[in-house]
Amino acid sequence: MTPKFTLKNIKKSFGHKHVLQGVNLEVFTGESMVIIGGSGTGKSVLLKCLLGLIQVDSGSIKMDGKDILEESLTQHEERLQDIGVVFQGSALFDSLKVWENVAFRLIHAQHMDRKQAKQIALQKLSAVGLSESVAELSPAEISGGMQRRVALARAIATQPHILFFDEPTSGLDPIFSSVINDLIRRSVQDLGATAITITHDMNSARHIGDRIAMLYDGKIVWCGPAHEIDNCDNPYVQQFIHGLPTGPIQLETDIRHVA
Amino acid sequence: MVWALASIGRVFLDFLASTGRLILFFFQSLIQGLKPPYYFRQLFHQFWEIGYLSLPVVGLTALFTGMVLALQSYTGFSRFNAEGAIASVVALSMTRELGPVLAGLMISGRIGAAMAAEIGTMRVTEQIDALATLSTNPQKYLIMPRLLAGIAMLPLLVLVADIVGIFGGYVVSVYRLGFNPASYLKQTFDFVEVGDFTSGLIKAAFFGFIIALMGCYHGFNSKGGAQGVGKATTYAVVSSSILILIANYFLTALLF
Repeated sequence: MTPKFTLKNIKKSFGHKHVLQGVNLEVFTGESMVIIGGSGTGKSVLLKCLLGLIQVDSGSIKMDGKDILEESLTQHEERLQDIGVVFQGSALFDSLKVWENVAFRLIHAQHMDRKQAKQIALQKLSAVGLSESVAELSPAEISGGMQRRVALARAIATQPHILFFDEPTSGLDPIFSSVINDLIRRSVQDLGATAITITHDMNSARHIGDRIAMLYDGKIVWCGPAHEIDNCDNPYVQQFIHGLPTGPIQLETDIRHVA
Repeated sequence: MVWALASIGRVFLDFLASTGRLILFFFQSLIQGLKPPYYFRQLFHQFWEIGYLSLPVVGLTALFTGMVLALQSYTGFSRFNAEGAIASVVALSMTRELGPVLAGLMISGRIGAAMAAEIGTMRVTEQIDALATLSTNPQKYLIMPRLLAGIAMLPLLVLVADIVGIFGGYVVSVYRLGFNPASYLKQTFDFVEVGDFTSGLIKAAFFGFIIALMGCYHGFNSKGGAQGVGKATTYAVVSSSILILIANYFLTALLF
C-alpha cells in the first residue's frame, strides 16, 4: 500500500526547546491515524508542520511521494484545497455567520455563488446534526459542542480527501465527545478520506483510529493498530493510557512553546 | 562602558530587525493583495468601519478643536488688535495641521487598536491558521483591505474634520465673540486656498496607511493569549501615534 504521508526524521526546535526530535511515521491512504501524547509533547506542532503552517528544521515530509517542504506557495495552496482541518478551539470566524463559516472555502476559494454555497452549507450542517436555525447565528451564540460540529461541517464542506483533527473533543463533555467521535468516524468513511487526528483523549483515539501512534519526547515511541493498544507492552503507552503518575514518562515542567 | 555600548548596539540591531520585518510584512501583503481574487466585500466592510463609524469621533474632535482655536486666537490676537485674522488662523490651522493630525491620532486610537485586537485575537485563536487551511491567503484577505481602506478613508474623514472644525470656529466667533457672519465667512474663503486642503489630505492618506499598517502588523504577529493581544493593541496605538507625529514633520517640510 502507498503511504499518503511519509515523515522522515522531522526535527523542530523553538529556541532551546527541542519539540520534535526525529519523528518517523507513515500514514496510508484511506486510513485513520491517531497521534496520542501528553500535553506539550508537540502534537499540534507536528500537525502544523504537516499543514505547512510551521517550517520544520530538518527531515522530509512526503505527500503522495512528493516532498512538501520543497513546494512553491502556489503548490502549497493547491495542496491545501484537498485538506479539511478541525482546530482545537474550532477557530470559527467570529465576524461571519455560522453558514458563512461553513461555506467559506466554497465562496472564497472556489468562487461559488453565495446562494448555492449556502445550500451546501445547510446540507453539511444537517449532516452534523445542526438545524437551519443555527445557520443564521454567529459562532458566539452557540455552545462549544455546536461550534465543534460547525468546524467539522466547514472541514468537510468541499469534500476533501484528507482530514486533520486537532484535539477534536477537548473541552467537551463525554456525551458531546461521543457525538463528535461518531461524526468524525462517519465523515472519514463517507469521504473515503485519509485522516490524522491528534488527541490525548483515549476514548476518542480508540473510536476514531485505525492505527494509533504515541508521541513522547519528540519521537514516535509506539505505533500499531488501535485494537492492540490495550495489550501492547510498551511502558510509555501503558503509563499514558492508564494515567499512571509514575513510569518512564517524565512530566513536562518547562515552558511550552506557543505556536 | 563596553556594557553600555553593547546595550545601545543591541537596541539598534533590534530596531533594524523590527523595521526589516515590518517592511517585509508590507511587501508580502502588497504582493499577495495585487493578485486576484480581490475581496471587495471585506474592502467595503472596512470602508464602513474606518470611514462611516469614525465620523462621530472625528466630528466631535474637530468641532471642539475649532471652537477652542477661535477662543484662544481671540485671547492672543486681541492684545495687538489683530482679531480680524481669527477666521484665517482657524481655517489654515484646521486644514493644514490640526485636521489631519488630530483625526489621525483619534483614528489611531479607535481603528488601529481595533485592528490589532481583532487580528491578534484571530491569531491566538488559530483563525488565521484556519484561513490558510481554507485556501485563503490571510494577508490578502485581512491586511490588504484594511490598508486600502485606511489610505482611502482618512482623507475623507479629514475633509469632514476640516469643514466641521471651521464651522466650530465660526460658531464661537459669531455667537460668542460677536463677529459679523458674512465678513467671517468672506475672510475664511479669501485666505484658504485649495493647496491648504490638499496638503492636509495628502498627509491624511499617509496617516491612514501608517495606522492600518501598524494595527495589522502588531495584530498579525501577536502571540501568547489575551496578554499578547493587549500588548499588540498597545504597540499598535503607540507606534502609529509616534509615527504620525514624525511623518507629520517630514510631510509638512515637503509640502510647505
